[in-house]
Amino acid sequence: MLAYAEGDLIAFETLYRRHRGMLYRFLMRSLRHRADTDELFQETWSRLVAARERYRPDAKFTTWLLQIAHNLVIDRFRRQRPQASPEETETVLRDLDAPESEQPDHALSEFEQRRRLQLALEELPEEQRIAFLLRVEGGLGLDEIGAITGAGRETVKSRLRYALARIRARFSS
Amino acid sequence: MTTSRDRDQDLNRLLDDDGGEFGTLYRRLPRAEPPRRLDRAVLGNAARAVHGQTPYRHRWVVGFGSVAGVVLAAGIAWHVGQDALRQQSLNESGTGAAVVIPVQPITSTKHRHTTDAMKVDSTALAPMPAEPEPTAKAAKPQIMAPQVRAKSESVPPMPRPTPPPAAPMATPAPFPVAPTQSTNAPPAADAARGRAGDSTRAAPAQTSELREQSAPTRMRGSGAPAPSSSLELRRDMQLAPDDWLAHIRQLLHQDRRQQATESLRLFHATHPQHPLPADLQALLE
Repeated sequence: MLAYAEGDLIAFETLYRRHRGMLYRFLMRSLRHRADTDELFQETWSRLVAARERYRPDAKFTTWLLQIAHNLVIDRFRRQRPQASPEETETVLRDLDAPESEQPDHALSEFEQRRRLQLALEELPEEQRIAFLLRVEGGLGLDEIGAITGAGRETVKSRLRYALARIRARFSS
Repeated sequence: MTTSRDRDQDLNRLLDDDGGEFGTLYRRLPRAEPPRRLDRAVLGNAARAVHGQTPYRHRWVVGFGSVAGVVLAAGIAWHVGQDALRQQSLNESGTGAAVVIPVQPITSTKHRHTTDAMKVDSTALAPMPAEPEPTAKAAKPQIMAPQVRAKSESVPPMPRPTPPPAAPMATPAPFPVAPTQSTNAPPAADAARGRAGDSTRAAPAQTSELREQSAPTRMRGSGAPAPSSSLELRRDMQLAPDDWLAHIRQLLHQDRRQQATESLRLFHATHPQHPLPADLQALLE
């Protein structure tokens, strides 16, 4: 990124090729809408290009890139619909905590597993979904996710726990 | 029932390098890629940003080029202007050469202001009423200089004749004599003027004499003495009265009677109170 800030276009192409897929999937699974994904994908890179001279190698490039993308996603969410309140989330999680004996325990085909994971991700509250995606798609740790989302370490852990519980509940249904 | 211990285990497995069970399953999901049009748009935007930056860094080149262009244009314009001025001055000097520097006007205009004897000459100029006032005004500085000299009897250095710039002043010659008159006038026109006393003819004849002075070939062809010029007469004016008379005698000795006559006439106009020697008075008759 520093090289690109100096005018090296090849350096930017290298960065882009390396991170384009990850960013695109993060946006796609966060927004669940291709048109929005395309728009925010382009906007993310545009903002990165515009801010290239302000880049400092204190953090990973991936973190910086996902920070920009996350901000855009949150802005989009705020414009589109109100966020689920913490109370609503707790209610959902209580319902998911069904007795283990009541949950069907049968093997699922891989296709079915992927489909259920996809459905589970779509049903996750935004904060949990973003935290999960930042972890599995971006490969970020708790601190990095906290830095991007503006949440504390424990909050991030809590969001991830709830997300995993919902996903597992989807698989058990 | 899903316990908190199970959720912590899931979280720990998720935070492992491989992402645990769900991390692995997630990586098996269809891996969507951005379409090529997005790639082109993003890379194009990045390239434009980089290329748009370059002119800012080298903006001084544009500024320097602009200044150089302006300086070059100004230089060319200056050269063209100089050439035009040179050409104009050449043209004017050519015109000035064609018109004889009018010594005679000095004499004739002076006659209006000086002696009664010279009134004859000035009345002789009367038939030239077409003379515009500005010309007379322009001639005044030339008139005043000899008068001042006559009063002070000192001979300050004569201002050098101004070659080309003075030409426009001399161009509207106070005596636009018809060429036929001047060419047909006899060489000894002063004699005819004295004989007939016809002032109306005298002035053109006098002028024609002066013009003949600037026509050396004609003078040479007629066997006349070496032509005098207004410069010579001006030099004569710088002489002291006695020296001037001596110079006139010298001219007579050199058989340059015409020039001696002109010089004597000019002497008399410049120093009207100075008595003319008897041997030279005959020249004016």
